[in-house]
Amino acid sequence: MATPVIGRRVLRNEDARLLTGRALFVDDVQLPGMLHVAFLRSDFAHGRLKRLDVSAARARPGVVAVYESADLGDYSKPAPLLVNPPPIPGHVFHACTPLPLAKDKVRFVGEPMAMIVAESRYLAEDALRDCVADIEPIDAVIDLEAALAPGAPLVHEHLTSNAAAHVLQRKGNYQQARQAADLLVKRRFLYDRGVAAALENRAVVARWEPRAEELTIWDTTQAPIPIRNGLARMLGLLESQVQVIAPFVGGGFGPKIMMFYPEELLLPWASMQLRRPLKWAEDRQENFYATTQERGQVHDAEMALTRDGRVLGVHDVFLCDTGAYDPYGLTIPINSQCTLLGPYDIPNYESEFTSVFTNRPIVTPVRGAGRQHGVFVSERLLDIAAKELGIDLVEIRKRNLLGPDRFPHNHEIMFQDSAPLIYDSGNYLPTLEHAARAIGYDDFRRTEQARLRAEGKHVGIGIACYVEGTGIGPYEGARVTVEPSGKVRVATGVGTQGQGHFTVFAQVVAEVLGVAVEDVRVVTGDTREFHWGTGTFASRGAVVAGSACHAAAMSVRGKILDLASSVLRVAPDRLELAGGRVRVSGSDDAGIGLGELSGKANPLRGAVRPGTEPGLESTAYFGPDRGSTASGVHAIMVEVDPETAAVAIKRYLVVHDCGTMINPLLVEGQIHGGVAHGIGNAFYEQLVYDEQGQLLNASFMDYLLPTATDVPPIEAAHRETPSPFNALGLKGVGEAGCIPSGAVFAQAVEDALSGYGLEIREIPLSPNRLFELIERARRP
Amino acid sequence: MTLGGTFTFAGPRPLVWDLLQDPAVLAKALPGTKTLTRTGDDKFEGTMKVSVGPVTAAEFAVTVTLENRVAPASFAMQIDGKGAIGFTRGTATVDLQEQPESATLMTYSADVLVGGRIAAVGQRLIESVAKMMIRQALDALNKELQSRVQGGA
Repeated sequence: MATPVIGRRVLRNEDARLLTGRALFVDDVQLPGMLHVAFLRSDFAHGRLKRLDVSAARARPGVVAVYESADLGDYSKPAPLLVNPPPIPGHVFHACTPLPLAKDKVRFVGEPMAMIVAESRYLAEDALRDCVADIEPIDAVIDLEAALAPGAPLVHEHLTSNAAAHVLQRKGNYQQARQAADLLVKRRFLYDRGVAAALENRAVVARWEPRAEELTIWDTTQAPIPIRNGLARMLGLLESQVQVIAPFVGGGFGPKIMMFYPEELLLPWASMQLRRPLKWAEDRQENFYATTQERGQVHDAEMALTRDGRVLGVHDVFLCDTGAYDPYGLTIPINSQCTLLGPYDIPNYESEFTSVFTNRPIVTPVRGAGRQHGVFVSERLLDIAAKELGIDLVEIRKRNLLGPDRFPHNHEIMFQDSAPLIYDSGNYLPTLEHAARAIGYDDFRRTEQARLRAEGKHVGIGIACYVEGTGIGPYEGARVTVEPSGKVRVATGVGTQGQGHFTVFAQVVAEVLGVAVEDVRVVTGDTREFHWGTGTFASRGAVVAGSACHAAAMSVRGKILDLASSVLRVAPDRLELAGGRVRVSGSDDAGIGLGELSGKANPLRGAVRPGTEPGLESTAYFGPDRGSTASGVHAIMVEVDPETAAVAIKRYLVVHDCGTMINPLLVEGQIHGGVAHGIGNAFYEQLVYDEQGQLLNASFMDYLLPTATDVPPIEAAHRETPSPFNALGLKGVGEAGCIPSGAVFAQAVEDALSGYGLEIREIPLSPNRLFELIERARRP
Repeated sequence: MTLGGTFTFAGPRPLVWDLLQDPAVLAKALPGTKTLTRTGDDKFEGTMKVSVGPVTAAEFAVTVTLENRVAPASFAMQIDGKGAIGFTRGTATVDLQEQPESATLMTYSADVLVGGRIAAVGQRLIESVAKMMIRQALDALNKELQSRVQGGA
């Protein structure tokens, strides 16, 4: 019997290429005759574009073309709406998507107004300085509440207000719950914006090949197939004339999903106009404006509880900043709405949100995608209620967790994928107990905290629960081929941004076919290799594409056993696959190598039997009805210096349940990256805009990312509650590391400063903001 | 960004007033000014080169429009600067009061919006750079004033 490969801590297949600099990134693509592109962007957050004079830029030697909106002709159309709002009764949604280049009006600092194509990037950037944009400023819409006030300037003047959407979802009857409650806690919670800060910025290379009439695009997208399909449609080409390659990409985190960014739309078009290949690579400063961002929300939330800490219901009204346009529909606020329910049994829930247009860069999902906010609100309300009721923070959570007998659990509201919010499986209490035990919660509460305080040390623990909706449909596919060398090739459509797809998909296939993991070569993100699928987002790669790989491998396995049975004249049930061979059970030498068998499946003479196909190859798809729900608990211990507000994270512990793990090492990698991202969100990263929409910290000098010294060693522990929705029992893990970080951080800092009267209701807590809060709490 | 302050010139108010309306003098006094010319009764146009922190020597096309002139006591300015790395626009008021020993007290205040890359990258330094530039300009003007006072005496 072969040793199981799924579940093993296999080192990554792709690392040799990545670590030695042999992996291809978009900016590595060099083509003969390639031209370079720079974009003229608005310096104003809100204004009328009265006149744009690009004549001097056009006249500059080395400039090949300059395009403004009027030059695009019919190609100047609003970008596609990427996600339709789920059919929630009574919802209001105004779709406003951007033009490739602004016309008449600019709506955020960084909105592109003209595209310059030159012989080099230097010349293109020089030509930016030749352009004169005459913009008449309009007061910027920045504050979410002021945006909705009567008489506020309108971001989109064909609408009557800056409200982009309104949704109300209900389960049970909150008003009745409220009346039955012994305690109501009501607070306002704030969560502010950050950037995804991927190591690699965005980049696009486009080449129209006039002889072949084919367009090839190298793009840092997370979703090459939708980009190919959309570009083909917009450019009037067959899908098969367009190839999109998303090679190695240095981090996605959401803003690289199928965005149809202006740069993605314009380079292919201009390459066809000019019949030359074009390249654009975003610089870090552009990234602060031109790449989508997330996280601005304001929640007014109330929790109704009984005296013994049982939650009867939650009522939440929130505003969600969608930026200047809303191409991603309602995904983020619906994630906030749904994730607030967490792992808890909340029988009555009323949640209402208004999405708000502002003169800030466009908001689309960033790792967590609204889930943070829901978790922050419910966990903070539980903390506040526990204090008022005199119940321990862990105990109040235990009293409200859904028990293992409650699955599948229908929350009676609709999730972002237009399916009802139904949890597939989960076992929450042991996860919480594991985390509390591992961080030494009981001892800390009984004696340790007081002992440390007596020594003058302000140490606290934070412990917070969360769920993560993962692995949503619609589907992904994979093709598995056994090659004559005996090695196996897997092609799938999702893009890869460092997750380890070349390893986890290889493990799934290796397990089914009995080959070595390093003998499985995975190809992702190239539409010539595989052209059905949606992309990498929503923690779905391993679940959905992984399950497709499994299905395709199972089908190939069937073909292998069939053919081997006839070649070896042995019944299939006596055959096993191991070591790259088909072996007859109980016999060491009888059998055939997979490579040789693949040759027999592709004969040069004779005939392939009717009803069979040549080769040991299969394509299969996996499309779940709905996502699978992962869960976990983060527990941290911090020490706070009340004089300087410096926070040192002493321990960071994650107990996580993403169902069956394909590779625990990579699950931990996802958690580590997520936690680092979460620490940034919680304590360092904040985009600071002035009242006229100018971003004041658009560089890594002023925008603080956590560094290696700010991210402590992360202790990860796993539980496995398999999902019943797929053959391997998989759930996603991509966002888990950063979802509860705000909640756990606030709780821990508050706990460390117990006695100071501090109540943290906002994230991020920059070091200076925490200092202000401490000073304010100290004042009598 | 709001800026404001006072400065005492060692010279009589009408002379200070004249200096402040003289583009040739202002061009010399304002650090980084490459050109400054009067293009209308109340209008100056020119170019300035300004360094703010990591943003080195950025060139701005500047238009200053004078308003509400009450010679020799007060005036207001509309300032509009545009460059490849951003823009500034704002209003300022200048008030001149006679002081004993024929000195002049200037009280100024400005409300300036800075946008684009210069705001994004230079934000931490803009205010201190602006204050430094004002201080250098006023010192230079005062020097010019004294040479005029002495020349006239």
